[in-house]
Amino acid sequence: MNCDAVTKSLPLYYYGELPAETEEGVEEHVASCDTCRAGLERQRLLAVALDRHAVEAPAGLLAECRHELSRAIYREEARPAHTASDPWSLFRDAFRSLWHPGIRFVQPAGAVALLAIGFFSARFVPGSLPGIGRADLTPDSIVSSIRSVQPDHTGRVQISLDETRRRIVSGRLDDENIRKLLMAAAREQDNPGVRVESVGLLKDQCTSADTRGVLLEAVLHDPNPGVRLKALEGLKSFATDPDVRHTLSQVLLKDQNAGVRIQVIDLLITRQDPATIGVLQTLIGKEDNGYVRMRCQNALRDMNASIGTF
Amino acid sequence: MLHDAAGAANARAAAKLDEAAVIRAVQRGDQDAFERLVRAYDQSVLRLAMNLLRSPEDARDVYQEAFLRVYRNIDTFRFDCSFHTWLYRIVTNICLDHLRKRKVRREEAAIVDTADGPVDRMDSFEEEGAHADPERRLWNSELSSRIQTALGDLTPRERMVFELRHYQGMRLRAIGDMLGTSEEAAKNCLFRATQKMRAVLGDLL
Repeated sequence: MNCDAVTKSLPLYYYGELPAETEEGVEEHVASCDTCRAGLERQRLLAVALDRHAVEAPAGLLAECRHELSRAIYREEARPAHTASDPWSLFRDAFRSLWHPGIRFVQPAGAVALLAIGFFSARFVPGSLPGIGRADLTPDSIVSSIRSVQPDHTGRVQISLDETRRRIVSGRLDDENIRKLLMAAAREQDNPGVRVESVGLLKDQCTSADTRGVLLEAVLHDPNPGVRLKALEGLKSFATDPDVRHTLSQVLLKDQNAGVRIQVIDLLITRQDPATIGVLQTLIGKEDNGYVRMRCQNALRDMNASIGTF
Repeated sequence: MLHDAAGAANARAAAKLDEAAVIRAVQRGDQDAFERLVRAYDQSVLRLAMNLLRSPEDARDVYQEAFLRVYRNIDTFRFDCSFHTWLYRIVTNICLDHLRKRKVRREEAAIVDTADGPVDRMDSFEEEGAHADPERRLWNSELSSRIQTALGDLTPRERMVFELRHYQGMRLRAIGDMLGTSEEAAKNCLFRATQKMRAVLGDLL
């Protein structure tokens, strides 16, 4: 293959979408052509840049969507009743009973309060509740959940709720409390932006076992590839640690993101051992990304290991 | 290793059987089963819609519309493809409609309304934090802006194929099936999408 044909094939090669014979042609050419090798590297950088700028749903959106779906489903034709077993079902049942023709609320306030449950659950912020008494809520409080709603005969309603307060905490990165907060933030499920930022800071403070544990957890389980890449950067100086290597091997065989797999290969090959060779050989057998496979093959060659005996 | 592979295959088969049982229960009108089915897929549906449309409002609309269509049409599901394929066919159709209906205004694409006011979500994904040097931040900001431009320049179909291949990791053959087109056409879309993005981002990579 010549440079022109290879350049046109690089995107599909990177995504492992070329026929085997064309793929081999690209690999042979790239191995001997600096220009096309640089082109392939640019393709990889494009993928990494796009991964780092992936957008995820804001915190609370999933809960909001589920809640709205349950309401919409209710408005569809009612299906046979069932026994409520969890908050989703209880909530759906609350709405079902609200509209059920056989049930009438004694006081209109009761109906208002039940509607407010939906509003609270969806928004979680008291400030957006015109007409609902807020006297007992502190100005910076956030309602996290409603425990009970009790209308009385006077037309008032008593709502029991959990509230949380927002605080601003600041301190140096070497402060133990700050570090603990960052470790908690690195596990903040609903906010990938917070996780990226926290893991990015922790990676430079990776001196303790618990910090390392958080980075390993992020590499292994975080759904956002940007967070995983950031955590891998923090693990660079521990690339020879047996526990870290064990986790990296697992990541290499299961991570769906080619950029992450490439970075893991780079970390693993800093030490040559039989376990790494075995993992790389296993990966070649199942890898569908041509570029990752090539990096694997090169690493095995550098270690004088067999490529095809697995 | 062979045992691991066999174990994984058994687990996949068991999960498939279990899912088929759940779908049949939904078809019989079991709402708890419908809820289980929704929860098995709704995070990935929302992630796809959010990353593709870059607007929480649109992502919410897609989520709602997709699962309502599933609810209304589950009786017509005949197991001649996987539920995943069936659901994603619905979701991608709705997303494509959204992409076609609006010409994405690039300057607003990543703006999200929060309790603290509008926030550009791209800021959360900058490579370096607030402590990074100004030059680096400037570079990241430029990269974010160019990525927005690059994605905005793609046709709806190119954007969809790229999203499904790059972010969702689906094979082009499956993408072609899902979008009602050939693998070759999906391949061309992916190629064009990548070329366009490299043209816009080229000097930053």
